[in-house]
Amino acid sequence: MTTETDVAQRFWEDVQEGDAIEGFELTLDWTKMVAQVSGSQDFYQVHHDPDFAAEAGHETIFYNTGFTQAMLCRAITDWMGPEGWLRKFRFEMRRMLVPNDTVRASGTVVGKSEGEDGMGAVELELSLGTQREDVTTPAWATVLLPKRG
Amino acid sequence: MPTIPDGVYDLEAVRKEWIGQKTEVAPGRYPVEYDPIRRHAHMVEDRNPLFLDPEAAKIGKWGAVIAPPVMTGYFAGNGAWPPSQGGNRFFREVPTRGDRMINMNTEWEYLQPAKVGDRMSTQTVLTDIYEKSTRVDPLSVWVVTENRITNQDGELVAVGRNTLLTHRPPEEVAAKKGEA
Repeated sequence: MTTETDVAQRFWEDVQEGDAIEGFELTLDWTKMVAQVSGSQDFYQVHHDPDFAAEAGHETIFYNTGFTQAMLCRAITDWMGPEGWLRKFRFEMRRMLVPNDTVRASGTVVGKSEGEDGMGAVELELSLGTQREDVTTPAWATVLLPKRG
Repeated sequence: MPTIPDGVYDLEAVRKEWIGQKTEVAPGRYPVEYDPIRRHAHMVEDRNPLFLDPEAAKIGKWGAVIAPPVMTGYFAGNGAWPPSQGGNRFFREVPTRGDRMINMNTEWEYLQPAKVGDRMSTQTVLTDIYEKSTRVDPLSVWVVTENRITNQDGELVAVGRNTLLTHRPPEEVAAKKGEA
């Protein structure tokens, strides 16, 4: 069951290039597969029916776009805090996330600038990776953070 | 998505006919709602009060529960399933070589949040179609679209660019290879 947990606010002045975005990890068991379908409402069979996926030429089912981007988005919104804003977001699904993978979402701060609308901009490089491959899904984001004072 | 037999597929003709085509501005089927947001958050064990707690959200920056930014497109559509009820009409109508699809690249710009109660609308423009070989099909066809999402006041909320890989099933690829 999901219960709310406060997310700390991060300020632009406190962020330095090279800072790590710790992120989080999920294991893709069958319950998570069902949650994927529920949360995304994507019922395309390649994401939940192993026989259909095999017939389509895949080794097994693979997790969908909604799940993939949700993991990356959570890593960003957890990190930036409630006053932050995800301004730009891009990702590439280069390798598949499959059952029994343990997936880690994490990243690094790669740049800072003055930003827009009184908020400071921070450039992030993120990725999903598994026990099989370091990077399955690279991602890039521009986040706006509040400034102190 | 209609498919065309390998021998008569004319990429240039498809590009000429389809690139630049756009949909009407179409309203999402439902307003931005609590429960789809809760299910989305639950999917990745996201416990952020911005997405889950109406009381906390009310006193926060946005004054209401907001959808995680990556959900904006969800509320601008007719629902992801079944395909006949929604989704991107270009993904169903653009002629391709195969009827199998994999979503490859997605890029978004977010201008403002989608709050519970808001009504999203979307307009899609087809921006590119090209061939590029993949592991599953050497004649894969790629389809690129841009979605512009607005709210009930006509304000731009988000702009998304999406790249879809379409391919033939392996037995069809093998059969065509055998004919060559």
